Amino acid sequence: MIAKLGALARHLSGNDPAGRNLSTFPDDTFIVSYPKSGNTWTRFLVASLIHDEEPMTFLKADKVIPTVDSQSRKYFKSLPRPRVIKSHFPFDQNYPRVIYIVRDPKDVAVSQYHYQIKRKVLEDGHPIDEWIPRYVAGETCPYGSWGENVGSWLAARQQSPNFVLLRYEDMIQRTDVELIKIARFLDIDPTPERIQWAIGQSTADRMRKLEQKEAGEWQSTKDTRKDKFFVRSAKAGEGKATLSPAAIAQIELAWGPLMQWLGYETASSDRRGTEPVLRERTFLEAALEQRVR
Amino acid sequence: MNYHLQLLVKKVLGTDIAERNFAIFPDDTFLVSYPRSGNTWTRFLIANLVYPNADVSFKNIERLIPDTSSQSTRALRRTPRPRIIKIHEYFDHRCRKIICIVRDPRDVVLSYYDFQRKYRHIADGYPLVSYVNDFVSGNLNSRDWGTWGENVASWFYTRGKSKDFLLLRYEDMIADPVRELARAAAFLGLEPDPARIEQAVQRSAADRMREMEKTQAKDWVATKNHRTDIPFVRVAQAGGWKEKLPAECVAQIEAAWGDTMVALGYDLVSATSHSAISRSTPGSLTESTTGARSQKQGAR
Repeated sequence: MIAKLGALARHLSGNDPAGRNLSTFPDDTFIVSYPKSGNTWTRFLVASLIHDEEPMTFLKADKVIPTVDSQSRKYFKSLPRPRVIKSHFPFDQNYPRVIYIVRDPKDVAVSQYHYQIKRKVLEDGHPIDEWIPRYVAGETCPYGSWGENVGSWLAARQQSPNFVLLRYEDMIQRTDVELIKIARFLDIDPTPERIQWAIGQSTADRMRKLEQKEAGEWQSTKDTRKDKFFVRSAKAGEGKATLSPAAIAQIELAWGPLMQWLGYETASSDRRGTEPVLRERTFLEAALEQRVR
Repeated sequence: MNYHLQLLVKKVLGTDIAERNFAIFPDDTFLVSYPRSGNTWTRFLIANLVYPNADVSFKNIERLIPDTSSQSTRALRRTPRPRIIKIHEYFDHRCRKIICIVRDPRDVVLSYYDFQRKYRHIADGYPLVSYVNDFVSGNLNSRDWGTWGENVASWFYTRGKSKDFLLLRYEDMIADPVRELARAAAFLGLEPDPARIEQAVQRSAADRMREMEKTQAKDWVATKNHRTDIPFVRVAQAGGWKEKLPAECVAQIEAAWGDTMVALGYDLVSATSHSAISRSTPGSLTESTTGARSQKQGAR
């Protein structure tokens, strides 16, 4: 009862986390992704585009692009518009404009596994093969499974002019091209100086150095192990290189058609792995073949 | 502030409307649909099947199969388990076992138009063409449930192939309610006893529900204090759009959601809808970004 009253007092004063109860404006843009898909990097890039006058940090990126379920409704109300907001939620119809970042679910698996060790959810050396079935079932993450999260957004919004889909892998390979797309979507003039500034602020090396300074204060790292790092490989292809064939098979069984549609290599796809291969088929047809639990 | 105070009191008492904010149990089953897609009929069918001695009516349906858009979190908490719960929400990953009812959006919009007049959300003379535009562009006052396309696709493409997902098409239920209810019975793990299924179908017949509505409308949360000259139980037919929906409205709906409609087995009739389908190839993802740009510039 006391806890309930506390929650209610927070709600009354607007100090409860906004989460699903955020009031949105038509000019809000959301940077949405399943966790461990490059969202923090994208926030660094975008925050540096918006504020190109002083160096970007983790704490500053959190202020420029706050996370929907870690700040209060009151906080969001106080932000200047147009707002840019980070979220990991599956489809939410209240989000008017969405930049959705997707990453190969094999790589997401490796990243999420390591992050759970850093957060002391898993012990060192926990066999990843035992963890993968729970990952595939969506039991390791409060935002649904990878397929549910990606699928719900693509199903609902993929045809909308107010939805941009970006692949983490493309952002790694040609950061400038993808960042120009983002800038245009945000109505920011993508001058070469601005784009290069933002990329320079957001290199993995720079972010690793900043993490050492800010880890104790930054929300996503402050109560976690300091011998493991938040900014990890910042590469594509780790899942294929390190996961067992059995683990990869489970991931592909669950989400194969969706992966293929997104251009991610699967055992059954041809070898053009890095480009979307199913141009002749719609996303919706591909998704229909998905096998989920 | 007054609104927040009221919400505070309601939350303390547990009388706040459940919506998405209630605790879900692993043995819950959800009757999911966009509004005006046959959810109430399905509720009656399943309630009559599961509770054959309950004398199912508008007076007790909310106790048997509560609706999260009208019932409180406390009412949800007090519903005996395993619960069957009605929702209109779009995809919620916490829901595991799903019976999803879909209906041709060209019929849904006609039904919704009457319903919103009944609720005085729109005036009698509100042009149908404007209403269809609101329906497609997400400007109805029920926009919190998403558009028809967002709502249906968000469930269908995340869970459509799951063994815990049963898709019922309203049109199939109209054509053969016994067969479709038998599918639901099997999905719920009930003995598909033909006599019991037949009885549930008869007890949930449109004529019978219309008679009940006449005497019970004032007792049911979804009909009391709303216009009584427009019934809640409407035509209970499939395909009315072919005569009643203007061609431009049909084209607009098909252009917006053609691929999802085709995936659900609804044939498209307008020529323009084909371009909508080819739009959803991955190659067009970059184009849609550019489209947003030029659209925005055009608006200025």
